[in-house]
Amino acid sequence: MNREGLTYLTVTSILVLLTGILVTIIVPALESPLPTQASRPPYTEQELRGKLIYQREGCWYCHTQQVRRPEVEIGTVKVRGDIGPESRPEDFVYDKPALWGTERQGPDLAHVASRPYGAVKEWHILHLKDPRAFEPDTIMPSFAHLPEDELEALADYLLTLK
Amino acid sequence: MLSYKEGSAAKGFFYSAVVWLIIPVFVGLFMAMLLSYPTLQHYIPSPLRGPINFGRLRPMHVNLAIFGWLSMAYVAGIFYVTPRLTGVRLYSERLGNLALVLWNIFNIGILITFPLGYTQAREYAEMVWPLDVLFLVTIILIGINIWGTVRRRKEGKLYISLWDFMAASVIFPLVYAVGNKVWDFSGAYNGLTDNIVNYFYVHNLFNIWFTTAGLGLAYYLLPKLSGNPLYSHRLAVWGFFGVWTGQHHQLWGPAPDWLEIMTVVFSMMAAVPTLVFSYNFFMTMRGSWGRIKESIALRFFVVGALLWIFTCVQGLAHSLRSFSMLVHFTNWVVGHSHLAFVANYSFWAFALLYLALPHLVKRPIYSRSLAMYHFWLTAVGITIYMVSMWIAGVIQGVYWLQGGIPFIETVKAMHPYFVARMLGGAMVVVGQLLLAYNVWQTARGAVHTKQKVTATLAPQEAI
Repeated sequence: MNREGLTYLTVTSILVLLTGILVTIIVPALESPLPTQASRPPYTEQELRGKLIYQREGCWYCHTQQVRRPEVEIGTVKVRGDIGPESRPEDFVYDKPALWGTERQGPDLAHVASRPYGAVKEWHILHLKDPRAFEPDTIMPSFAHLPEDELEALADYLLTLK
Repeated sequence: MLSYKEGSAAKGFFYSAVVWLIIPVFVGLFMAMLLSYPTLQHYIPSPLRGPINFGRLRPMHVNLAIFGWLSMAYVAGIFYVTPRLTGVRLYSERLGNLALVLWNIFNIGILITFPLGYTQAREYAEMVWPLDVLFLVTIILIGINIWGTVRRRKEGKLYISLWDFMAASVIFPLVYAVGNKVWDFSGAYNGLTDNIVNYFYVHNLFNIWFTTAGLGLAYYLLPKLSGNPLYSHRLAVWGFFGVWTGQHHQLWGPAPDWLEIMTVVFSMMAAVPTLVFSYNFFMTMRGSWGRIKESIALRFFVVGALLWIFTCVQGLAHSLRSFSMLVHFTNWVVGHSHLAFVANYSFWAFALLYLALPHLVKRPIYSRSLAMYHFWLTAVGITIYMVSMWIAGVIQGVYWLQGGIPFIETVKAMHPYFVARMLGGAMVVVGQLLLAYNVWQTARGAVHTKQKVTATLAPQEAI
């Protein structure tokens, strides 16, 4: 192949990438700008600390924070439909990064704080320390090795997921 | 300090890749054990329960497999193949060896930072900012080496493999930079955008890097191992271009509907390169199928190619919203990712290693029978792994869409499949240990008792 061939190869490759960036980053940014009206208040310092612990311990590898439209009525954690309402872009305005997750080895947590037990801070702390005390068949690891103040922060973050 | 010797960079990348293969397979096996028997955690001494926990091991398993093993094996392959297709030496062995050192520092960085909890919490992009920058520099150096070699070439025609390597070496750094947001210390975008960019990157790590460079390697291996000329070069070039987005990884998510629909359309376009490669593969292999009995490298390559086609078919199916609703978030996807990663791209890398290493060290592979065991243990082990995950995934999907079944019931239903996966995974681990031993013995020049038989053959035919 001659020099023009090389130029053709380079230019086309970069064009393909630019097309990808255009349709996945630039157009979405223009078409649907991040909602100005967030559905949740900004994180407090303590909640943000909890979110960082959630990220650090890799909670998001097993728990999604994303309810899909077709499962709103049927998604079940304990009772039918308790998965909560569909996730909207405004739910993630203050999330950097957004923790949508990809796997559900455990239940979805997008609205965990709206479930009866999930609204109780002490429940979260006890459950994080010893999940098997609440659910003997769970595969969730214990987080009893985390210091008490980190567990508190983590629970405070989980309480924001309404 | 950095070697000028011809082939030293390729050799170094192969050896490093094998070392970085052993670590993630053991981590993976341990994670599979934890998922099957979670109470194992009680046996871990409590000061170590932070670092040795599923949530911190998972990124180590994934990223060391991606960047440590497969990417390094790919670079080894590219450094081996490029001079052979251009008719000149590698542009700079020294630059290649520098990239090798930097890349190993990057891997060691992953090995240290992840258990300590330093993470950016984004899929395939967990590496902290200094590691991102280091990696970006490394892959740019590799790109310079590839383009420099091609510039000096004696061969007039650019074979399709070179197209693939050159394109990958330009786009991969760009995708990495955008996906990891290297200009920002936090490495994350905001809210919705973060997820869209993250999956643009996740998808293209596979589509731009592993598929594009992988097809380049495959188009070299196919004629080489089958002994037939490539059926149609023109057809291969036709399959070169496609358009890539990644939002089909998050169908039904909060992203705009138009983006999801567009990504489904683009995903369907991936049928073109799939069909092109399949046709070329079957036409080139005509008359050479019997060779898989003699050549273990060809055997790895053929299984990898057939499963590549299968991966693409599965991938197209997942990109439909209806099917995605069933299998998304389930263990099916874990099966799919291991199909793509282990059963096809890694199999191509194994084929490449068995083909190239004898040329690089100038002596045949130490043991043919070890290589044979490596093939069978890996192939059977990963099949058990994938099939158990697919069954498990469909069970989860059906339970969840049924509604009213408590979540813990799906967790309980997973147990037998998790155990099967663990056993399949253990076979894969044993297979990789045999590979590592075989490569080590080949490297130090040990002579196997049975090698006298194969010593009369040319190195490339010995395995």
